[in-house]
Amino acid sequence: MTVTPFPRAGLASVPAPAFDVEKVLASIDTMAAQKPVAAQLVSVANSEDASAKELARILASDVSLAGRVMKLANSAYFGMRGRVTSLQFAVTVVGFTTVRTMATVALTDLDDESRLPADFWDFSTHLALAASMLAPRFGERPQDALCLGLLAQLGAALLFHNDSEGYAEIVAAEPTFPGRRAAETRRYGLNSLRLTAVALEQWGFPQPMIAPLKHVDDYRAEEGALLRSSFEVAARLTTEDYDAVPIVRVSCGRLREDDVVPMLDAVRSDAVELRRAMLAD
Amino acid sequence: MTAVSASDAHVPPDIVSSVFYSASVSDSLALLVAETSGRTQRFSWANHGAVQLLGYGLEDLCAMPVEQLFPTLGGGELKLLLRRERSARRTLHVRTASGALVEAGVLTTPSPGGRRWTVLLRSTANEQERALRATADAHERRFSALTERSPVPTLLSEQGMRLAHVNDAFCGLVGRGAEQMLGTGWIDTVHTDDLDAVIEQVSAALDGGEVEVQARLVRVDGTVRTTVIRFAHLFTPGVGAGFVATIEDITERLAFEARLAHQAHHDPLTELPNRTLLAHYVAERFRPGTGGLACLFLDLDNFKVVNDSLGHTAGDELLVEVANRLRATVRPGDLVARFGGDEFVVVCEQVDEDAVVALAERIAEALSRPLRLGGVDVRPHASVGVTVQTADHVAAEELIRDCDIAMYQAKAGGKGRISVLDQAGRAEARDKLRMVTELRNAIDNRELSLLYQPIFATTDRTPVAVESLARWQHPDRGAISPTVFVPLAEESGLIAGLGLFVLDETCRQLAEWDRLMGAAAPRQANVNVSALQLDANLPAQVAAALERHGLPASRISIEITESALMKDPTSAQRVLQQLRDVGVELAIDDFGTGYSSLAYLRHLPVDCLKVDRSFVAELSGGHGEIASAVIALARNLNLCTVAEGVETAEQADELQRLGATYLQGFSLAEPMTGGHAAAWFATYGETAP
Repeated sequence: MTVTPFPRAGLASVPAPAFDVEKVLASIDTMAAQKPVAAQLVSVANSEDASAKELARILASDVSLAGRVMKLANSAYFGMRGRVTSLQFAVTVVGFTTVRTMATVALTDLDDESRLPADFWDFSTHLALAASMLAPRFGERPQDALCLGLLAQLGAALLFHNDSEGYAEIVAAEPTFPGRRAAETRRYGLNSLRLTAVALEQWGFPQPMIAPLKHVDDYRAEEGALLRSSFEVAARLTTEDYDAVPIVRVSCGRLREDDVVPMLDAVRSDAVELRRAMLAD
Repeated sequence: MTAVSASDAHVPPDIVSSVFYSASVSDSLALLVAETSGRTQRFSWANHGAVQLLGYGLEDLCAMPVEQLFPTLGGGELKLLLRRERSARRTLHVRTASGALVEAGVLTTPSPGGRRWTVLLRSTANEQERALRATADAHERRFSALTERSPVPTLLSEQGMRLAHVNDAFCGLVGRGAEQMLGTGWIDTVHTDDLDAVIEQVSAALDGGEVEVQARLVRVDGTVRTTVIRFAHLFTPGVGAGFVATIEDITERLAFEARLAHQAHHDPLTELPNRTLLAHYVAERFRPGTGGLACLFLDLDNFKVVNDSLGHTAGDELLVEVANRLRATVRPGDLVARFGGDEFVVVCEQVDEDAVVALAERIAEALSRPLRLGGVDVRPHASVGVTVQTADHVAAEELIRDCDIAMYQAKAGGKGRISVLDQAGRAEARDKLRMVTELRNAIDNRELSLLYQPIFATTDRTPVAVESLARWQHPDRGAISPTVFVPLAEESGLIAGLGLFVLDETCRQLAEWDRLMGAAAPRQANVNVSALQLDANLPAQVAAALERHGLPASRISIEITESALMKDPTSAQRVLQQLRDVGVELAIDDFGTGYSSLAYLRHLPVDCLKVDRSFVAELSGGHGEIASAVIALARNLNLCTVAEGVETAEQADELQRLGATYLQGFSLAEPMTGGHAAAWFATYGETAP
């Protein structure tokens, strides 16, 4: 792994806990046991012979999650303008990967903002929509990019669950995401994206979806270019006084500033609705 | 995943050792065992497959720290791979002996105690997978090349209404770039009013259907294309449902169809609805037994004069101007149609007679404004017939027919008039219509009869010929005068049939007389021909009738009125010459009542003049000047004369004195049937001196 180093001192006010990543992962298993429907969806949706009917059947037993999938299917992002009235059709419209992503969100308590780092969903929805819109430029499926964008910060949420004070301090001290990740590595031995990758791998998400997480901080790695560019766009949209990094640099030369400007409005307007669909009522 | 306990009491030791043996020698399975020693984890064992995959010697491998094999693992991550309580699955880069990084699926299973792990490596880049991926990639490239270059606008969905792909043809169709339309951007190209229908069909397609919808697409420049979008369902295992849509631009086709429909219902010159559309329009609005519909029938006066004197272009210009003035004068909602030629019809709804007449007056006034055509000021005038729907009207077409009749009444009353068809007028017109039908049937069924009036040589008062006279004995109306039914036949297009009947029946009668009487039969029969029959067909018809009955041409004399000849003198002269060539004799009927110039008369190939009965009648009052002049004129031109309407012996004597060649009249012999004529001629032959 290549990490862009941001040597910063002074993050020691909260002493690094005897932090055990394994414990973090184990905590996910506990969550899964508490949310069997979501856990079942995460495992079933992976299978090649999954059908919308089967997914809808399982989904129906988690009213809250089902409601969110319906909300998402009718959101502006999918353009169906309220036409989606059955759960099975909602599954068809949003796609299996998205259902799985929603289930993962429920499984890891990401639908409870009180247990998340500040502005978690504000950023994640911008990141996801930016990734979805930029995906065709990188030859990627927008839907997978959307899902990866929604889940990318899962690791950060897990770190926050287990070390809220320490993690809040990192967030406060490091306004940029690369800087934050460097600090995470220093404090926890791995950064939040790597942790996300480990968790998604553990649940059997497909490799092509996971691989970019490992390459975000290596500016030379084309594999990470889409997610890196999306981080840049989302940061520009959500961070006050953000010091923009040239998009041509983060995208391995795939994008120019002109390409980004037209999509900013669409990302901003869809993000609000997407955030509502991701959160528990 | 839970590790199967190797010390499971149910598995006999010899089976455990057998499995272990097969695993240790397998070269398709790369297995290693890692152990904690001190603070690090090192490999302590590897099977044959691991040695083959990684390329290290067994000794090297068995002392190697685990993180050395997985160089991409960060500091804290080794713990996530080698977990104490549970197995872990990762996809990691593995460093082989050559230094290359190979991607592999790594599955670690802890042994009880948590200090030893079995590590299973599965190279993800095996040949079969690579081949599969290459095939899939090739399919993908082929598909995208196919749609990319296809002239058919094509959309490929990603999820819901979201697009993953649009081809160049679609971009061209809507005039936007692909970037703008991916995702939900393309929705902006669907016309707002059609969007619901499109989403509905997308829903059906995502649900597995093959559907299509007609929808308008709005181009970036704001122009609208009408298309048919056909959706087909797509299913990608593990991903979900999508659709492929192809778009057919039917704008031109619809426009063409609309143009054809318009052409079928509009007059190309004035762009006004034509007769067909008028009929539909009135039929749609006509409710029997109610009122409120009204029709105006306009016929331009003297349109033929404009056409003939200023040319057809000027005539067309006049029609277009009249159409424009009509459109500008009628009330909104009224229909103006071109009925044909110089005839127009205006249809109004919810009006009474006063309002329609007021409209007719406004129209007459608007039309009469001068108009410059070919350098000449023309004031168009029209005769206007008006009908307002009454309870008597039972069908829509009666309304138009009635205003047509009213227009003829207006025309008959002098040009430039407006005539409203009233009850009496309608009754009269209907009666006339009925009579036309009856006349047609009478002609078709040969119910008309011919009478024959003998014509005498003046000198010896012997009968030399007969004139055929058509008679109509109506079963209810009684005898109907030729002065009634001949003009009726002329007006209603029946005159040709009537004329042919008279010609054929006369020839038949002559032939019969010949058979019955031989030499005593009348030598010649005079047949009257209407002005409307005087066309290029007549000579052939005459020749055919003669031939049909085996008669020489000299047995027939064709009588044509002076006024008929004067309608189109040049053409008349040509037809007369052709008749002459057939061999029949030619006589000018009612001579002296028209205005033919003597110079013209000289050039007509005629044999005979008939002195009109009015001049013969004047003889009795001592005014024989005109009869005398006509007879003298004929003699000087070397023509014979027939004096008609000879009523008295004195008149006969006077006409003989004046030199008339033949005489015809009631006092000499009345018209009689063919049978009577045969008897009469036979008797006359016997009693003749």
